Amino acid sequence: MRIRTLFLLLLTSLLSFQTLFAQDRATVKVSGEVTKPLQLSLEDLQKMKPATAVLKDRDGKEHPYTGVAVSDILTLAGVTTGQQLHGENLAKFLLVKCADGYEVLFSLAELDAAFTDKQAILAYQLEGNALPAGKGPFRLVVPGEKRPARSCQQVVEMVIRFAKD
Amino acid sequence: MKHQLAIVIVAIAAVIGLGASGIRRATPLTLVYPANFGNRISIPDDNPMTEEGVQLGRRLFYETRLSANNRVSCATCHQQAKAFTDGLRFSQGVDDTPTPRNAMSLANLLWVRNFFWDGRAKGLEAQASFPLTDPHEMGQSLAVSAQKLQADGRYASLFAQAFGTPQITGQRIVQALAQFERTLISANSKYDQYLRGEYQPTTSELNGLQLFFSNPNAEKNIRGASCGHCHGGPKTFIELFHNNGLDTVPADKGREVITGQSIDRGRFRVATLRNIALTAPYMHDGRFANLEDVVDHYNEHIQPSETLSTFLQGNQGGMGSAMSGRGDLQLGLTTAERKDLLAFLHLLTDSSFIQDKRFSNPFIP
Repeated sequence: MRIRTLFLLLLTSLLSFQTLFAQDRATVKVSGEVTKPLQLSLEDLQKMKPATAVLKDRDGKEHPYTGVAVSDILTLAGVTTGQQLHGENLAKFLLVKCADGYEVLFSLAELDAAFTDKQAILAYQLEGNALPAGKGPFRLVVPGEKRPARSCQQVVEMVIRFAKD
Repeated sequence: MKHQLAIVIVAIAAVIGLGASGIRRATPLTLVYPANFGNRISIPDDNPMTEEGVQLGRRLFYETRLSANNRVSCATCHQQAKAFTDGLRFSQGVDDTPTPRNAMSLANLLWVRNFFWDGRAKGLEAQASFPLTDPHEMGQSLAVSAQKLQADGRYASLFAQAFGTPQITGQRIVQALAQFERTLISANSKYDQYLRGEYQPTTSELNGLQLFFSNPNAEKNIRGASCGHCHGGPKTFIELFHNNGLDTVPADKGREVITGQSIDRGRFRVATLRNIALTAPYMHDGRFANLEDVVDHYNEHIQPSETLSTFLQGNQGGMGSAMSGRGDLQLGLTTAERKDLLAFLHLLTDSSFIQDKRFSNPFIP
């Protein structure tokens, strides 16, 4: 009985240690049709070229977000962007996954500066501060859309795939 | 030369002949379901659906020898009459230790991708091995289960019919179970009949349906309970993990334990509402004894916390503020509206599903 209690205590402390550790290292995973899979932390994103985007939130007001252009992240991961985005590569999509299981999809061309001036970003700041609980640490901000449903919150993963139909 | 060629031809013919007689191919099975459920289903390439596989899976689902004390089967905690739940807050396994969470209903699993309350198992095959081997549930390794089935002469031929050869392995046990569970499709409730134009709901049921799927909007005078936000679509669930405000400090951290991310604290699977009137008690810990308590929870007992899902937070323009105009966590449904909502929830009961002979215990004639 004592051994079991001890074991449980050890397990609990190990789990909480693991939890603490993981909290410090919230990341966004980039995988699929990439030449270089990524696991980006806040520090990694802050080292990249910053980009801003304005989003009319559910409160009806426009808010400036700061982050990194999604196309820059894709380029870093070796996804076919810019000059390479032609032919069969136009049949690729990006699936963005959030912590609660919510998923939204983009075709690569929708995110590419060669195709559109509306630059979607992976935001880590709102009006100069870290994103509030429930939205962050990372949120997609897609400007120029009537509904904010694709500006999804708590992004944890970006997967690039070929449409297989 | 001609002679050699003839030998080769005879040899090839023999191999083909052997293949045809020695290894019987199982009969492919196509699952039938309503088009409005969509086709985002999960059937792994290495475990295609077959008639024989499903029949074997059904037998295994009710097979008590898959447990350490030969008294517990999957059906002990997943009883057909209760839409494959057991009516208990926590279930009792082979060692009489209660399970940490409430047994989930098994319906329309074909559309589920991440199983359990915390979504830790990808696919039904991976899911099945948890309760089979957990010391507090069925408590027996898959290898021992395979040995015990081997000792019963009848199983070898059933495995051969399902998988081509008579080998009984742990992998084949979970594959057959998964095949059977994929056939548990509930799509003939009165709600489905209504969607097919075969049932006319009562005024109360229709009002409940309206409330269920509507987002409240005080300015436009729209009443709603926003249930469809998570339980939308004909399947009545979206594969999401939410903190639905049960506790400010949850005793069970839910999905956080799996992901290690504090943003997942108190998050649990959005359960299907199919047959919900049959699957009490409710929530991951079975804390609510009846549906009235569940509706009351969403109506007036949402507990605030850091990870409370944003759409439940009144101060973010969620249903609380829109409904009551107070910016709090109250939904503000009237007594009549609660009754209507409950009437709609009862429309989701599929009596043909719980009586379907294809899902019943094959050991009882």
